[in-house]
Amino acid sequence: MTARIFFDAFAALAIVFAGIMVVTRHPVRSVLSLVVSFVGLAASYVTLGAPFIGVLQVIVYAGAILVLFLFVLMLLNLDRPPAERGGRPVQAFLGGLGAIVFAAMLLGALRGSGTALPAAAPVPPDPLSLGEPASLARVLFGEYLLHFEAISVLLLAALVGAFVLARRESRV
Amino acid sequence: MTLADWGIVLARVVLPPLILPAIVIPLVWYERRVAALIQDRHGPNRVGPFGLLQSPADILKLFMKEEVVPSSVDKLLYYLAPAVAVTAALATFAVIPFGATLEAGGRRIPLIGADVSIGVLYVFAITSISVYGIVLAGWSSNDKYSLMGGIRSSAQIISYELAMTTAAAGVILAAASFRLTDVIAMQEGTFFGFIPRWNVFLQPLGFLIFFTATFAETNRLPFDLPEAEAELVAGYHTEYSAMHFGSFFLAEYVNVIVSSALTTTLYFGGWSLPGFHPTGPLGVAASVLIFALKTAFFVTVFVWVRWTLPRFRYDQLMRLGWKALLPLALVNLFWAAALEMLRARG
Repeated sequence: MTARIFFDAFAALAIVFAGIMVVTRHPVRSVLSLVVSFVGLAASYVTLGAPFIGVLQVIVYAGAILVLFLFVLMLLNLDRPPAERGGRPVQAFLGGLGAIVFAAMLLGALRGSGTALPAAAPVPPDPLSLGEPASLARVLFGEYLLHFEAISVLLLAALVGAFVLARRESRV
Repeated sequence: MTLADWGIVLARVVLPPLILPAIVIPLVWYERRVAALIQDRHGPNRVGPFGLLQSPADILKLFMKEEVVPSSVDKLLYYLAPAVAVTAALATFAVIPFGATLEAGGRRIPLIGADVSIGVLYVFAITSISVYGIVLAGWSSNDKYSLMGGIRSSAQIISYELAMTTAAAGVILAAASFRLTDVIAMQEGTFFGFIPRWNVFLQPLGFLIFFTATFAETNRLPFDLPEAEAELVAGYHTEYSAMHFGSFFLAEYVNVIVSSALTTTLYFGGWSLPGFHPTGPLGVAASVLIFALKTAFFVTVFVWVRWTLPRFRYDQLMRLGWKALLPLALVNLFWAAALEMLRARG
């Protein structure tokens, strides 16, 4: 019961700040709202018995990627965005259409699942559940080892690519 | 859960964040006295016995001082930044075991905020959040010195986080767990009957890298480039005054304590000592005292280094982090893995 209350609170936090992230016109505040949203999401994972996923969510997204976002925004100094309200009818139309389609999909999925959302995991979480480090490692480095290695090669390629592009820029 | 259980949980969660700032008060006095000793002068010795009341007086002053806020700051983020810095610093302590398990009234109370399966990772997650306090302070102040300090700090913390995490991975590998109570449990016992079974003797290189990186993570000399007075006035907190400035100060000292506690836990056996099996309330109190003394030792090293080593230049800092510490941390990881294979073969 307690876990359910915490799950709902953190999920609400994540959703509200995701909304603020979209609505606010201030780039730095937008990034920070996303940080709060990610932390809320991470806490939701913890209440669902997946602390490892939750902590990775914070380390990778909130801690590394968004700091770099913030870095770029601060150096570009984009704190005065040009006011463009209703200036782009095509984008506004397509955006609205997309929102309606997404809402319909979400409603359909929720209706398909029958009743309300499943109840949050019990506390203490099962040590064999997938969210715990040991069990996750067993699956990742056993059953899915080939996929794991393939992704790491892909990341390495991206890393080398970024390096090549950056070098070319500096030589010109 | 009964009301008493809730009370115990509340105490474990709430007490450390209340006690840590209280320890900072004498710590500031201690640092100033040790600095004076190193520089062959007296240090604060007028207010109270041995000058002990100097710090409380200074903090009172910080609370009473007029707050000067520049008109061009981003108000929301300007006030948010010190809060983020202090919160992140205090939150780290939640997963560090500061004593043995207390058995009282039929209950087992582990002296730790939360004994989670992801302890070490949680510490790194909070460290990565703590960057926001400094970056936001630098940006929202709308001042070039602050901004430079904020940018330097984030680049520095991200760079040294890699070496720190990789060094700690050696310990995690040996303990086969992220849980800090497991890390302490594996360090009980001795080698050859007299050397404590501490990780520092197994992975001395890892310990050196980890401890060096904590200096960079806490923005302390010789890595205090985010606030280098000679270049940046005061760096990221240039535009702060009164207790908002004091908050950054508090966060720095809490970070020093927490880093020392973490070093103690990962490499020096935490609250344990060889041949010491705490029983009863007195034994548990002794374990807390052992933990406090070990931590105090590393806090002293922090102070000692600050008044001994000069500041690095920024390119030296980056070269050290990426070209020396990170490769060495990888070497340490292979070393730890080799040790583990040898142990597994018996």
